[in-house]
Amino acid sequence: MRPEEISKKTEQLVTIKTEDLAPLPFPYDTYEETPITPLKEEQKKKWEHSLDGVSALTLPKPETPEEEERLVKAFLSGLEKLMTKENNWTFLQPLMLSLEYCAKCQTCADACPAFEMSGRKDIYRPTFRADVLRKIAKKYLSKGGKIFAGFRGHDIDLNWDTIARLAELAYRCTLCRRCASVCPVGVDNGLITHELRKLFSQEMGIAGPEIHEKGSVKHLKFGSSTGMTTAAVADIIEYLEDDIEEKTGKRIKIPLNKKGAEILLIHNAGEFMAWPENPMAFAILFDAAGIDYTLSTDLVGYDAVNYGLWYDDVQFARVALKHIEIARNLGVKKIVIGECGHAHKALSVIADRLLPGAQMIPRESSYTLLNDIVKSGKIKFDPSKNDFPVTLHDPCNAVRLMGIVKPQREVLNAIFPPGRFREMEPHGVENYCCGGGSGFAIMSSGNFPDWKRLVSGRKKLAQILNAFQGEMDPSIKKMVCAPCSNCKGQIRDMLESYEVYEKTGIWYTGLVELMVNAMVDQKKPYIEWPGEDDDDM
Amino acid sequence: MGFLQILTYLSGLVFVIAFGAKLLKYATMPMHVRWELYPIPHEGKEWGGSFYEEIDHWKKVRHKDHMAQYRFMVPEILFIRALREDNRPLWYWSFPFHMGLYLSIGGLVFLGFGAFVQIFGMVPENSALASLFQSLTTVFAVPGYILGTIGALGLIVKRTTDSNLADVTAGIDFMNLIWLGLLFVTGFIVWLQDPGFNVSRAYFQSLLTYGPMKEPMSAIHVVNLLIFIGFWAYFPFTPMTHMVSKYFMWDKVKWDDDPNRGDAGMDSKIKKYLAYPVTWAAVHIDSQGGKKTWADIATTNPWENKDQK
Repeated sequence: MRPEEISKKTEQLVTIKTEDLAPLPFPYDTYEETPITPLKEEQKKKWEHSLDGVSALTLPKPETPEEEERLVKAFLSGLEKLMTKENNWTFLQPLMLSLEYCAKCQTCADACPAFEMSGRKDIYRPTFRADVLRKIAKKYLSKGGKIFAGFRGHDIDLNWDTIARLAELAYRCTLCRRCASVCPVGVDNGLITHELRKLFSQEMGIAGPEIHEKGSVKHLKFGSSTGMTTAAVADIIEYLEDDIEEKTGKRIKIPLNKKGAEILLIHNAGEFMAWPENPMAFAILFDAAGIDYTLSTDLVGYDAVNYGLWYDDVQFARVALKHIEIARNLGVKKIVIGECGHAHKALSVIADRLLPGAQMIPRESSYTLLNDIVKSGKIKFDPSKNDFPVTLHDPCNAVRLMGIVKPQREVLNAIFPPGRFREMEPHGVENYCCGGGSGFAIMSSGNFPDWKRLVSGRKKLAQILNAFQGEMDPSIKKMVCAPCSNCKGQIRDMLESYEVYEKTGIWYTGLVELMVNAMVDQKKPYIEWPGEDDDDM
Repeated sequence: MGFLQILTYLSGLVFVIAFGAKLLKYATMPMHVRWELYPIPHEGKEWGGSFYEEIDHWKKVRHKDHMAQYRFMVPEILFIRALREDNRPLWYWSFPFHMGLYLSIGGLVFLGFGAFVQIFGMVPENSALASLFQSLTTVFAVPGYILGTIGALGLIVKRTTDSNLADVTAGIDFMNLIWLGLLFVTGFIVWLQDPGFNVSRAYFQSLLTYGPMKEPMSAIHVVNLLIFIGFWAYFPFTPMTHMVSKYFMWDKVKWDDDPNRGDAGMDSKIKKYLAYPVTWAAVHIDSQGGKKTWADIATTNPWENKDQK
């Protein structure tokens, strides 16, 4: 399908059929997939879905031709702004280079897990949405763009269908940037997706509801994208202390708002709700290692997420600056980011050039600090306590996009018996996204969860299954270590959807939980497998 | 001075101005936020690691292995390594095409050296140096023409027959390949007619001395020259200048992992950018049509409930 066909007047451009999908390894090689749930008639009437029958954005249909025209104009205006230094100094140079220089070689296509696992649907090629944007920019915004537009390869119609499909298409890429890592001329089609999302959000107010209204807005309004208020945090921390006491037999005080502490530790607040054992494990490890740290209960300061990273520079900057301001007010020496991949990149890398150097504060990955704790010998580990097969998922944001590859591996090798840890293939900076990147892990509108299950998460599921081939007996318990909240959420959803634990014995957890499980001082097993409760341990 | 010479000068002028303007455009764009992609060769960690793997990295002196960048980029440019590793079927044609271009350009450079020494009376018949330049011209240009022709033809066929490529290939892309293919083919024919490149060298000499062209030029040679002149002026306006993205996207984007440590130059840029007016129109931005700057909107939390603090 040519990118120009995105403007076609048709009910639905592409249909995802389960028989087209790339196959999964044993024992799912004969698995009967559940297809994408079609939208209900009333949903179809309300929401745009003409790309692939999926609605991730629940984007309302314009009610009048005038409204359509206004939206088309707004899109063009936004595209124009995207190409100005005043409105887009943050990404102007890589964007303009990526728009101008695609060599149309399609090398990126085979690197993209969504394209591959969808059964090579053209609309999911990394170049498809990027080419649509290139063509619109050339035809409608460059001088003489309409002259010989067909011959020059950019004769695309700009209508509401094009824009509505492009908006949905901006949310069919996880921004993992594998495509950019193989491009022979350096073009970054992942970045173009990112910029497209910005255009929709910053000019037209269109974004995934879970990452904007229920995400960054909630974060700035209540203090956390989970909706957890500052008043609630202290209570939750107290519950964690109770749980720690129950699990370890030791009362540990989790420091809050401690001025002058060495470290401000920021977790993804989703951990408090979905996986409290993760912040608890941090508290146990930091206490045992004698780390001088604090958590913050200030607005935004107890949630490391920064959803603006995926769709909106302004929302991004607002959250990042709050994180830095809170750390400075506490007088800490550094911020340590918990097990959250995108928070790693947001605060360490992208936020790095938002303020003059003197106003910045050092940021460090928890993976690095945890490895330092292991190497310091301050905590004694007994690898035999982790005597089960384990593999490691590499969160794109922390690994390919930040170069933190070794520390988490060194930790695993120190806390597992020899031979128990095996890599996925490929791994490290060549890893595949979990399928929940760029906000997908939390996006659950319309029938989008079905698309994630069948397409974006499929490659990681295949990788996980491949890592344990030959040991698929469910009685052999096996673990995926995923040191990132969003990745964990996506992997959890995939494992549950496919009943992977029941069929194969594969489960998931974070890095710190595995560390605490291996601590000599930890009397009871810290890891819980499905179906177990504390009484069983 | 003849018409062809004037056209050649004009073509060169257009190339220099247009290509220079393109480089200037990208070189003067604002410093962007960091958007690196690992592995970064200068980090010196073959597994793709970075300084973030080290505890308290900001307290340590950064060591950048600049030679590693060249070890990566030289084979990348010469042998198009990324394509070879990740898209071998296209590399079979793209590599000879590009190598043909490089060798042809090499031949042109040696032709220029030969023309230069010829100004001082050194010709292949009486000068070892001139003879060397003549031989090198042949050694580079002729294989260049052959490889370039094979590559251009292969790419045309590949882009026509491979549906993955045909869907994204426009008429202009075929025109560019045919244009370059004709340049290689006519260049080869010119060499068959004039194996010592004597006429070409004389023409180059006339360009260097602003003098008349003394040697008679065959019709195919004129055609070859016109194809070259046209392409030289056209080239900077096309995406075929992807060496620009190859430089900037690697050196200034994917490998730009310089942390902000309060460098005065970086600080002044950041201050300047934060003062840029914002005109994004979405309600939550609250830019007020450009009345607010980046600093204003980034430091404002429109949803903050003061009672919550």
